[in-house]
Amino acid sequence: MKILLVEDNERVVRFITHGLKESGHTTDHAENGRDGLFLAASERYDVIIMDRMLPGNLDGLAIIEALRKAANHTPILILSALSDVDERINGLRAGGDDYLTKPFAFGELLARLDALNRRGRQDAAQTTLEVDDLKMDLLSRRVVRGNRTIQLQPREFKLLEYLMRHAGQVVTRTMLLENVWDYHFDPQTNVVDVHISKLRQKIDADFERSLVKTVRSAGYMIRAEPALERSG
Amino acid sequence: MTRVIRSSAATLATGYVLLGFAALVLFAAPLRYAWQATVEDFRIELLQEDSERFAEVFRLRGPAGLSAFLTERVGMQIAGERILLLADASLRPLAGNLPAWPRGIPDRPGSYTLPVNIDGQRSMVSIVRTALPGGYNLLVGRDVERYAPLERRFWSGLAAAVAVLSVAGLLGGILIRRALLARIHGIQQTVAAIMRGDLSHRLRVRSSGDELDILAQTINRLLEQIEQLVHGVANVSNSIAHDLRTPLAELRSRLEELSLTRPSTEETFQEVDAAVSDVDSVIRIFNALLRLAEIDAGMRRSGFVEVDVADLAGKAIEFYLPAAELENLSFVFRDPGPVLVRGDRVLLGQAINNLVDNALKYVGEGGRITVEVMRRPDGTVTLAVADNGPGIPDAERSKATQRFYRGDASRGTPGVGLGLSLVEAIAKLHGGVLELTDNHPGLRAQLTLQGSLAAEEAESVQERRESLYVASDSTS
Repeated sequence: MKILLVEDNERVVRFITHGLKESGHTTDHAENGRDGLFLAASERYDVIIMDRMLPGNLDGLAIIEALRKAANHTPILILSALSDVDERINGLRAGGDDYLTKPFAFGELLARLDALNRRGRQDAAQTTLEVDDLKMDLLSRRVVRGNRTIQLQPREFKLLEYLMRHAGQVVTRTMLLENVWDYHFDPQTNVVDVHISKLRQKIDADFERSLVKTVRSAGYMIRAEPALERSG
Repeated sequence: MTRVIRSSAATLATGYVLLGFAALVLFAAPLRYAWQATVEDFRIELLQEDSERFAEVFRLRGPAGLSAFLTERVGMQIAGERILLLADASLRPLAGNLPAWPRGIPDRPGSYTLPVNIDGQRSMVSIVRTALPGGYNLLVGRDVERYAPLERRFWSGLAAAVAVLSVAGLLGGILIRRALLARIHGIQQTVAAIMRGDLSHRLRVRSSGDELDILAQTINRLLEQIEQLVHGVANVSNSIAHDLRTPLAELRSRLEELSLTRPSTEETFQEVDAAVSDVDSVIRIFNALLRLAEIDAGMRRSGFVEVDVADLAGKAIEFYLPAAELENLSFVFRDPGPVLVRGDRVLLGQAINNLVDNALKYVGEGGRITVEVMRRPDGTVTLAVADNGPGIPDAERSKATQRFYRGDASRGTPGVGLGLSLVEAIAKLHGGVLELTDNHPGLRAQLTLQGSLAAEEAESVQERRESLYVASDSTS
């Protein structure tokens, strides 16, 4: 991925660029709103990471609004020290695609960037999802593994759908809470893990290869071949 | 502060005295005027009538006739009361009761009130001087000294009244000031004690219920609130310090050990991961606190929408169901279909989840959790989460919503002790309450909110369903 990072805090910049480089991504960096807007408008990026508060008169939301007005639809992840629910809504309303509060785990950031990048290119009219021998028909809401039909609860279906839409990518617990349950708060439990283990029992238990993998200290991933564990 | 009081008491007293003066003047002036008009003017009028009568006699009988007439009249008069004198052109007396023309009488005819020397005695007289034909002069007058005591008494009475008023005003001022100062002093002392840090002091309120008592009561209520807030803040900062110290201490020892022992790479990474999760738990506490602060500030009320509480409760049960099954717990869910309230979807969701999560943590193996959403006839909406676990002892129940409170039963379970306070704060934000009661056995946590339907509408859509989610039935 080619990523633009608009952020003024040096430490955060170092942390993010270093991590992204390790993960094989290239990063351009702007430390104020003016440079950020200039780079975002003149170059093509897969994803933009935008700090909410920037020095100078151009803050993160103003840049996003300017970009969107200029018909630039590059996915944008907003970084913010403000954790208020309202701030998140403001950020998304301004044209941001996702909102992450500082401090954050790098794995969380990377997973969200992957998801945003994928979403930018996804075929919206897709009606079937496939991972290895697991097939999901989004119209008839049928799930088949090999030649066996798997019965899923509606929420389990949604959970699996989200994992399969992001096949090969790490999906964090917070992303699952937000996208599968629409919970934008920290329930302070490990209930997501319980849901995953239940799902695993249904789609993995009786099969040779298990598809749903746990990524240590980051989240989960559904993937065709056995994945190497990755530490975030 | 004392100076202000002093001047305000003095001003008050002075004001009262001045008001008294004004009232006295307003009372005395018309009296004096009436006296003047009726007594003096009438007297002059009488004298003028007499003069005219004597002038008539003079015209008819000449100077000698009037002299005889006057002499005859003087004989009948009480001496000193009346002045009668007929004099010729050179002011030599011809008849009357004065031996000589008194000095000090103006040259021209007219009526006067003035001091005149009579028999070597100076006295106040009202006098009418008339010029008669042929240069003769007639003087008719009356000694008014007789009335002087009356006037004197009037003035001395007035003066006495003024004196009494001044003394009373001064005394009153001093007394008012003393009373005021005593009570202000009391307030000052209490406030000073409070400022020294002892918040338990209260102002003395007397039973009279006057203005100062009302002020004292208001200040007492203010102090009550301040005390609660200060204690709350002190409790919270204590608890924060305490709760944060544990993961921080762990983190510190972990890092120190790493730098001392320098273990193998694999082990180092494990330790670093553990350190990161220590930090995460600190961050989690801060996030919960920030959320509480956000709710307490009441800023989110602007974003209220219609929220279906029954739907949120159903979702929460569905969310926690797999975890409940692991513990062999069951859920009973009763709801009357969609139940709308005006509120914040995220916060209400979090409140309901916290209640369910709380029940799940404490109900114990094999327990049952009942979630009930109800529309009351008065238009309010209740959401109750009841369990049949050990519950909270009566003594501890009121503390359960305090920030960072963790009952003895909860030691060793995950959580930071902010769950119920968060629910309470969310309830408050929505104008509702959180009540914890005994479920015989277990705990019943009930959230009461304002429904968005009018009461009679709520009545008409009464309907109940009940769903049972039993642990063994994994497909429920």
